[in-house]
Amino acid sequence: MPLDVQGTFVSQKINKVRWIPEEYVETKCFFTGSWDDDVNSVKVWTLESLHEDAEIDYPRVLSEYTVDGDVTQIKFVDKTKIAVSTSDGDVRMLEVSAYEKQTPLKDIYAWEKLHNYGAEQCSCTSLDTFEGDIATIGEDGNLNILNGRRGTISRTLTAIDSCSLHAVCFIKHNEVITGNIRGHMKIWDLRITDNKPTASFLLAGDELAATCIVYHPTQPHVILAGSESGSLAVWDLRMNSFPTSLLNAHSAGVTEMQFHPENPNKLLTCSVSGEIWDWNVEGITKTTKGPDNQVTTWVPLENKNTMTVNSLMPTLHKPINSLHCDKGRILCGADNEAVYVIKNYKY
Amino acid sequence: MNIGPNVFSSASRTTLEKNVKTFVLPDKCFENRVACTWRCGNKFTIYPRSQTVSKTPVDTTGDRIVNICQDILLFTPILRKLVNESNGTYLSLQKAAETAKTSDNQVEFLKLSRQYRSIIRVCIESLQEAAAKESDGIEKNSLMSYITIFYSIECIWHLCEILYVDSIPGDIVLPFLLEWIRFHFPCHEQVAAQVLEACEQGSEDHPQYWDTVIGMIVQGRVDVARALLKLHSLADINEFKLVDNALRTMPVYSVYGGISTGEFTITWKHWQAECRSKLSGRSLASQPKLELIMRLIIGEYSAFESIRDNYVSWFDLLGGWVLYTAPWTRRRELGAAAAACAALRSAQPPAARRLLDHLVRALLDGDLHQVIHEIQQISDNGWFATHLTDILYQCGKLKIFDKHQTNVTARLRDSLVLEYGCLLMEHKSLWSVGLSYLATCPPEGLRRAELMLERVPVHTNAKALRVIAEAKKYGLSGVVQSVCRAAGARRLAAGRAGAALGWALRGRCGRLCARAADAALRGYCGYSGYSGGRPLPARDLLLSAGPELLRADRLLFLGKYCDFHRLYKNREFKKAAKLLVSLITSKIAPEYFWETLLLDTLPLLESEEAVFSSSDTFEIMLCLELRSKELTGEKADLLRLALARNLARTCLEDVEDE
Repeated sequence: MPLDVQGTFVSQKINKVRWIPEEYVETKCFFTGSWDDDVNSVKVWTLESLHEDAEIDYPRVLSEYTVDGDVTQIKFVDKTKIAVSTSDGDVRMLEVSAYEKQTPLKDIYAWEKLHNYGAEQCSCTSLDTFEGDIATIGEDGNLNILNGRRGTISRTLTAIDSCSLHAVCFIKHNEVITGNIRGHMKIWDLRITDNKPTASFLLAGDELAATCIVYHPTQPHVILAGSESGSLAVWDLRMNSFPTSLLNAHSAGVTEMQFHPENPNKLLTCSVSGEIWDWNVEGITKTTKGPDNQVTTWVPLENKNTMTVNSLMPTLHKPINSLHCDKGRILCGADNEAVYVIKNYKY
Repeated sequence: MNIGPNVFSSASRTTLEKNVKTFVLPDKCFENRVACTWRCGNKFTIYPRSQTVSKTPVDTTGDRIVNICQDILLFTPILRKLVNESNGTYLSLQKAAETAKTSDNQVEFLKLSRQYRSIIRVCIESLQEAAAKESDGIEKNSLMSYITIFYSIECIWHLCEILYVDSIPGDIVLPFLLEWIRFHFPCHEQVAAQVLEACEQGSEDHPQYWDTVIGMIVQGRVDVARALLKLHSLADINEFKLVDNALRTMPVYSVYGGISTGEFTITWKHWQAECRSKLSGRSLASQPKLELIMRLIIGEYSAFESIRDNYVSWFDLLGGWVLYTAPWTRRRELGAAAAACAALRSAQPPAARRLLDHLVRALLDGDLHQVIHEIQQISDNGWFATHLTDILYQCGKLKIFDKHQTNVTARLRDSLVLEYGCLLMEHKSLWSVGLSYLATCPPEGLRRAELMLERVPVHTNAKALRVIAEAKKYGLSGVVQSVCRAAGARRLAAGRAGAALGWALRGRCGRLCARAADAALRGYCGYSGYSGGRPLPARDLLLSAGPELLRADRLLFLGKYCDFHRLYKNREFKKAAKLLVSLITSKIAPEYFWETLLLDTLPLLESEEAVFSSSDTFEIMLCLELRSKELTGEKADLLRLALARNLARTCLEDVEDE
């Protein structure tokens, strides 16, 4: 079946979209987080068809949770709990009911003004979660590690960057990688008490912001970062200095990327230039057998021939801010105040 | 305090200028002296202002500042969908127009025009849905009025599409016109469907039977009318057969019919003469309704006049009139038919649907200038006027001349687009949509965009980066710089020298670089002493900044000083000492930093191995004496001692230059 794209206008610029995972059935509900509006909110939506037999289903709002400032990131802490960061420096943990999705989101924990410039407010730009822990970063250059089970702040690394941090990723339970507005990437070992990165390197020579970081699902030492310039950098953390390959991808900033949860060879990216692409990244890692039959995986240098890229949707005139895929369905949210559901995606 | 127009107690029109509205302000505190000033966009502020200087304190407790802004319909959530969706279509249209310069692209234009209409229909649907849910009377009323507005917009757009965008074979407009009427004025549709569904003889008992039959005749749906007539209980009598025969034999003109217009006219005239002779033979006298049908199909003016009152407007009859008088009418000849229909005497007051009346008349007359003038009166904040004018302009169908006979079409289109773009720029979220409109009218649009973009409030880096990305897209480098400057200045005020420096470098702003570097140096001086003190601000940034350090002298100094710290930390003392001496001798250090700079020599002077050569030591001594104001007392004595000891060391064996 061909790809089926269906857009719905929702009257709010969407900054984040997330499918809500279901146990045994196909997911029907999703979260959206809006930004750049007078009042922003986290909304829960469901896809439903207007008539019994109609093929097309439309999103309908089930509940709304308004926040101050913009929603900057939404990540799952577990199946029903999400951590939400906002541009006024707050981090909240919210729970959606597993059965009754239309009941309002429940506040579990709130860390208000977690990031701040003293009395002035400061944006919490992103967060990442790892087995109940939450790492948050902000424009103040701080990194906070929150305990999502107890609602406490387990660690604060103050002023670890003189510029503002824009991307964060938990690599291991004790290791976090951050990227700042000038493309400086630093790795922090949370067990070390002084504020010194265990490694630091540059995203690209252009001093543009790192916008998102992910790790390869089966090769966790392979890290990918998206840049404000639209390029994609790949590192092998076992030899981190300069990226092993820097791919010129989108024509403007990469906003979010995700490896397909079922197929690690598929990478999805979306950009400020309004594109959503699907990459076949099989060639990103190579496996060879050594003389003693030992399997080694390595990242080849500048191997552009093996990358195949497809566009999943006609280019929008406005930035696509977020994407999330679940099996054959991809959800994306854009600055033209619309949410798109792409169906029949082959992975 | 914001006041929408609905708060004002009365709105009256003066007779002199009908476009002037008078609002009475609710507050009494403005009775004496008030002044008014524009804020950005469509907002203005009224505030009390006293011009007389009085020494006695004036009671100002009752004074209030009133912000007045226009209530913008398009900013309601439902209509924001329309704004965003139509923006996509508008931008596609601009692209299509670009390609149309080299090749004919009429089909693409038609597709986009239909897309616009479907957007309007979706909007009407969601408005209807909202109206059905709404329980508040006033809200419901306003929703209903929006629905009416968008219904008429769609209706006019459709007619425009037929007359100007679509390419009609042979210019024979009749089938399209009939379709338009059926689509927008489906008054008898339901009854006809009901009666035909029931399919029983004697359907004339239905109270609206005859109205429906005549309605179908007037809409040109002869087959339906005949089917309905067959259901009459007297369908077998001669009169019915006669009418049925007349309807059946009616010649239908088609461009692809293979006969010329002249030939068709002869057949048509012949058929009409036959019908007329049957009428004059009074063979239908016993059935007045059938007689009326016959009179209609021969295009008798009085017959049309007699049924005029059954319809709300004259356009319901327009299709029938054209069909039964001149089915070969071309697009540009519709004006006469419209004039004839509009002149049909009606018992109803002429005020009803006046705007739509004017619009349809002007459209059929081909007076697009008038059409655009009229649609600007529709209270949709210019959405319709902008998009319709643009599509007509891009299709090349719009030619408007001013009184000096110069072509002002492009100017008209640009001014509408600019106006609409500026309106959207004011909205917190829709600014990017507005920007994309402004960008399609160079060069004026970009100049306006520049002014407005600089005023978009930027509170977070994410927004700043987005504004910068948009500005870069349209080549507005001035905006990029000013946004960076503003963001940098805000970080500086928050005491974040590093972040400020980052923004200054991004915006390539030398002055801000210098200020941020200054802040960093001052911040560092505040913590006297190097070891154990706070590390130099923005150290991580400076080490990778490279040639960007040349942006400002102060920044260069900071960069070099930071480099000194790095060398010192890496225990490369000789290199560190050399750098430090060059920093001291170059005299680019700011006054307040001399103390730190001179004291930094202390640990190096005291190091086990001599690192300063004797000439370096002399240089430092000279500086110390020249700058005796900056470094005094115990510290100075300590430094003097260290320098003297180093001099003694180097007298025996001087430090070799590497």
